Amino acid sequence: MFALSLSTFRERWQLFIGAIVTVLLGVALVQSSLLVLLAATSHAEAIVLVAMTLGIAAFLAIFIVSSTFAFTIAQRRRDLALLRLVGGSRGQLRRLLLSEAFLLGLIGTALGVPTGLVTMRVQSWLLTDLGFVPSPFPVAWHDWILAVSAGIGIGVSQLGVLAASRRGSRVRPLEALRDNGNAARVMTGARWFFGLLFLGGAIALAIVSQSVNVDGAIPTAINVSLCGAVALSALSPLVVPLVGRLFGGVFGRTTLGGLAHANLRDGVRRSASTAAPLLVLVALVLGMAGALSTLSAAGHRELAEDVRGDLVVNAPVTQPVPGVASASTEYLLPVTVTTGSGEDEDHDNSDALAVNEADYQQAHRIAPVSGSLADLHGMTVAAAGASLGDTMRLSVGGQDLRPRVVAVLPDSVNGAPSLLLPREIVPPAALGPARTIVRVQPGADPAAVAAALPQPVSTVDEWVAASATEQDSTNSGIMTVLMGLAGLYALIAVINAVVIAAAERKAEFAAARVTGLRRRQVVWMALLESWVVVAVGLLLGAVAAAGTVAGIASAVGLVSVPWGMVGVVTAGSFLVVGVTSVWTSLSATRPAPVTLIGARE
Amino acid sequence: MTNAIELQRGTAGELRDVTREYGGKQARVRALDGVSLAFPEGTWTAVMGPSGSGKSTLLHCAAGLERVSSGQVLLAGQDITAAKDDELTRVRRRQIGFVFQSFNLIGSLTAEQNVALPLRLSGRRVSKKEVRAVLASVGLADRMRHRPRELSGGQQQRVAIARAMVTRPSVLFADEPTGALDSASARSVLGLLRGMVDEAGQTIVMVTHDPAAAARADSVVFLSDGRIVDRASRPSAREVADRLAALEA
Repeated sequence: MFALSLSTFRERWQLFIGAIVTVLLGVALVQSSLLVLLAATSHAEAIVLVAMTLGIAAFLAIFIVSSTFAFTIAQRRRDLALLRLVGGSRGQLRRLLLSEAFLLGLIGTALGVPTGLVTMRVQSWLLTDLGFVPSPFPVAWHDWILAVSAGIGIGVSQLGVLAASRRGSRVRPLEALRDNGNAARVMTGARWFFGLLFLGGAIALAIVSQSVNVDGAIPTAINVSLCGAVALSALSPLVVPLVGRLFGGVFGRTTLGGLAHANLRDGVRRSASTAAPLLVLVALVLGMAGALSTLSAAGHRELAEDVRGDLVVNAPVTQPVPGVASASTEYLLPVTVTTGSGEDEDHDNSDALAVNEADYQQAHRIAPVSGSLADLHGMTVAAAGASLGDTMRLSVGGQDLRPRVVAVLPDSVNGAPSLLLPREIVPPAALGPARTIVRVQPGADPAAVAAALPQPVSTVDEWVAASATEQDSTNSGIMTVLMGLAGLYALIAVINAVVIAAAERKAEFAAARVTGLRRRQVVWMALLESWVVVAVGLLLGAVAAAGTVAGIASAVGLVSVPWGMVGVVTAGSFLVVGVTSVWTSLSATRPAPVTLIGARE
Repeated sequence: MTNAIELQRGTAGELRDVTREYGGKQARVRALDGVSLAFPEGTWTAVMGPSGSGKSTLLHCAAGLERVSSGQVLLAGQDITAAKDDELTRVRRRQIGFVFQSFNLIGSLTAEQNVALPLRLSGRRVSKKEVRAVLASVGLADRMRHRPRELSGGQQQRVAIARAMVTRPSVLFADEPTGALDSASARSVLGLLRGMVDEAGQTIVMVTHDPAAAARADSVVFLSDGRIVDRASRPSAREVADRLAALEA
């Protein structure tokens, strides 16, 4: 049987190269994320990011490898039926497919391990370049990682073909004799089951975890996107014909449009398999970009609503300045919050503002949820997420403080300090950078007041805009680390699926040409088809992303669509798939059509 | 004369009152309608009829590739009417061989490997000598290492016949074996089949459109609308053509 695997390999190289590439990249990405994760254990910010990267990489590897393998098996139904006809048993077919998958997994792993070393460099360079870890950032090699890589490469490809090989082995011998026979039912029970299961999971996640802070929102966004992507790609055979009909209404009247429409209706599995990786890519990228951009917009709005002032000075204002109605000088300082005791004792690093309560209330609109800021004197604190009257254990500048909670602050979206301390209890050495929010007296000239204040001075609007920009650049750094390589992987999987889909269509294209289509028309027809598939992938991916953003949006009460990213993803998908489609159909139509007609070997 | 032969010889395969229906309740199509037909051992039966008369369905049902709606199918003394997949797989390995209009060779394998495949699938030791002998018997001793696309249509069909014969099946089923061949290749393939019947006592069931091909068989059965409407024993090509024309008229 192994000899047969090998010789099939020679014949159907597009299918198998495609499968190898997906295994290779999956192994590389998982291996390198894992090694980087181990090296990043001492960097709190980076470890969460890399852990999420690892999660995404593992998910993509499983999803893409198994869907690619299932697709290659579906593409070979006739071959399999022929084997049944000459006496192959179901068990033999399964063994054949599993041994093929083993071979591909082995090759993919062997190539993936060295590729993983390159990937590792890129990942650690990204982390240092974006400032998540200090430079130099050494990543150590562990020998046991080879076992993990082999597990991913061989294990995932075996798991991926397990279900598909069972379906493949049920092929009836008679299907070898019929050209397209009764093509297998695409909407299988398993598709319904997993589609609905993950759809329910995605909806539940989106509803339950309406996280309002960045730390909670990104993992949630990823989970909802991934669940949604699995659900929709399982259910996509239902959607492909629907979108196809829509398309038929638009282009159906032209000859080529009608032909493309008919092909789409006929090749539901092919379309669904091509759309699947695109769907995942779009769901992940847009879901995360949408979540981050919504949070950033909400933070921006919160800041603008909270601050009541005209000017912001990046320095303390201690002397009275003519024309100033009020000035709230606020010092940023790091604190350590201790909770629990004994075994459960936990230390969290956090940021606090040291303020003068009266000045602070003049400069900020947002009031505490309970308690009163007027009591913020002596050994007291105002904190978000605390209980009124509790005593907190803080360490400020090496000094232990036990302030009583006199006011509870609302949760913040923009990552503003969650603690307010009275200025007088903070040791002067612990005070960090200061900013002063200034209100100008009615009638006074703001420009004149600004000139009299310590420089640099900016207007409140400028200051709010600058802090939003800073947040956005952090967000895009997070996006790059998380999605950079994973996105590339999904993109290659998209190209891969287009190539695999076209490899089987030589005879069909040839038939179209002897029917009277010019080569250019065949290429154009295939391009139209692939663009409809892109539209399906984008649409479903956008639905999954919308579900992701909806949870966060309903929590913060606004939604911000990252139009720039939507544009890039849309244009990029049409371009990449379009170019791949033109290239594959050109090469599939290169031989004279007559040589391909009826060349059924 | 034919009856005498049938009495002496055993029956390699038989259809008893077989009906095969397709489609749902609204649009039922009867592809076979109460067909009873026996294939005596060591004879060559040709099945003819206009397009859509149920020829291919008859072949598929007799070979156990398709289930019958009612009636009984016997193959090599075994009732395969309700056989499970495992049994049918065993039957395909030991009792029957297939030859098709579109050769259906595996493109990635050489002629030799294609012929050895059924033996491998049935887990038998493959003796190179045996495979070569079979290929030599179809006149392709010098084409062993070629892949199907490097062979002419007639040569590909010979490889397919060798593949079907390598397991020494009880019945060889042939579906339009000369349909894709030029007349010279067709003649030589038919000569090969005739030789197998005469010299080795092979049983052949062949579906064909071609009166010249049918004329090489021992008996010809005419099918129309799923029923057997006529039979002929050792007819000439002209007789076959005339009867067929009468059916289609």
